[in-house]
Amino acid sequence: MFARRRIVWTAIIVATIALLVFGSVRDTGPLTQQDRIDTITKRIACPTCDGESVFVSRASAAQAIRAEVARQVGDGARTDDEVVAYIADRFGGAVLLLPRGTGFDALIWVLPVLFTVVLSAALGLAFRRWQRAGTVAAVSTSKVAAPRRSFAIGIVLTVVVGVAGGVLVARQSGQRLPLQTPTGGIEDSTASLLAQARFSGPTDVKTAIELYGRVLELDPDNVEALTYRAWLIMLSARQFDELIRSQAYTSTITALGRAIELDSAYPDAMCFLGIVVYRDGGDAKSAKEFVDRCLERDPPAEVRGLVESLSADLEAELNG
Amino acid sequence: MKPAKVGAAAVAVVLVAFIAVLVVSDGDTGVGARSPLLGQPAPAIVTTTIDDAPFDLARRKGSWVVFNFFNSTCVPCIAEHSSLVRFVADEAERVDGVEFFTVVNDDADDAVRSFFTANDGKWPKLRDDDGSIAVAFGVAKVPETWIIDPNGFVRLRILGAVVDGVLEEQMAQLRSTQGS
Repeated sequence: MFARRRIVWTAIIVATIALLVFGSVRDTGPLTQQDRIDTITKRIACPTCDGESVFVSRASAAQAIRAEVARQVGDGARTDDEVVAYIADRFGGAVLLLPRGTGFDALIWVLPVLFTVVLSAALGLAFRRWQRAGTVAAVSTSKVAAPRRSFAIGIVLTVVVGVAGGVLVARQSGQRLPLQTPTGGIEDSTASLLAQARFSGPTDVKTAIELYGRVLELDPDNVEALTYRAWLIMLSARQFDELIRSQAYTSTITALGRAIELDSAYPDAMCFLGIVVYRDGGDAKSAKEFVDRCLERDPPAEVRGLVESLSADLEAELNG
Repeated sequence: MKPAKVGAAAVAVVLVAFIAVLVVSDGDTGVGARSPLLGQPAPAIVTTTIDDAPFDLARRKGSWVVFNFFNSTCVPCIAEHSSLVRFVADEAERVDGVEFFTVVNDDADDAVRSFFTANDGKWPKLRDDDGSIAVAFGVAKVPETWIIDPNGFVRLRILGAVVDGVLEEQMAQLRSTQGS
């Protein structure tokens, strides 16, 4: 009788584990783009309404999210989980209709399983005691010490099984967001490299030049990287001898010219070209032309500050 | 140890841990709101103004940039407008003054034009017709104000209407930490 019951329980446990493993690794097959958009938007809560998914909501915030999901699905660059991760990165974990299966959020999945296992074990223990008390009326007190050890082992086993089961459920049921990192899930993209390069620029020119170089490896026509790498190389070269300065001057003029060719509306390249042509090439007339064209293109404050006084100096030099 | 004592001890441990978390956790007391974007490179934004001028956030590096998400029918947006006008006027007198942009949220160009004609504010107004800028910043409700530093990193998010002096104070703090 006891052996048969054990076989049944073993079969149930094996079947449960098998189903969970199957569910977590199965391939659901290809979906159409609209299917993917629907599936993703059903996983995301509308951030401005109560209890509605983006899929059903007609709120403007939900519509904007739906449009973004459609755009990312159309681009085809991200998986469903990555699209959900992008939205959760922006709006926070509260927009996930299924809580995450990792980190602190995983407790939502782990705790119910843990409590279920612990309470089941406690009930089983209680029933066993009552059964013993009913059938064996008189038990010698010397035998009380032995169950203590098995009781402690039982507690440990119960907690281990509860936590392990909970983690398994969390991994299977919770949303896994592959892009997320402790810093917020921003990818190591050219945008990130450019921001790091700008941050390093004033204090660590060598690192900034390397970072701009990495951007150009990924995107050879990146105008910002072309411009600022050339500018920093020229600034660095000024402390060296004539030969190095001359080589840097040639490569800087080429790179800035290339940046202007790629984007003639980009003021920074025009301003730097004006500065370099004057300070390192001694050509005031060309410099004035480049600086004026830069100022016409509304440069950011940092760059404007570099050339506004230069423009007046050039004017004075050319007229005097 | 008896099972009852074990249970009581477990409950006590959980309660103590819970109280400890409440005691040591720091609540939100400042004007800045949380966002995973804080300290990260700002999202790439390419759009046009309601006057059809092109706008590319990447081209504004080197300046402090302030985005104010706005809708002409939103009451808090209307309430904060005079503070924004004063802030922008003060910043215009600085060499490193911020570049201020309104991001139009779910509103018509004409309605926005009428609002600004009636209430002043001559800064550029950016279109966000498909809501992609709002989604990129995680903006669900307006108004929201975001500050991006000259290196292109997101530095501050303010939820709701700003009152007089708040943006001035925050910019002063940010400039002192940035060293500009």
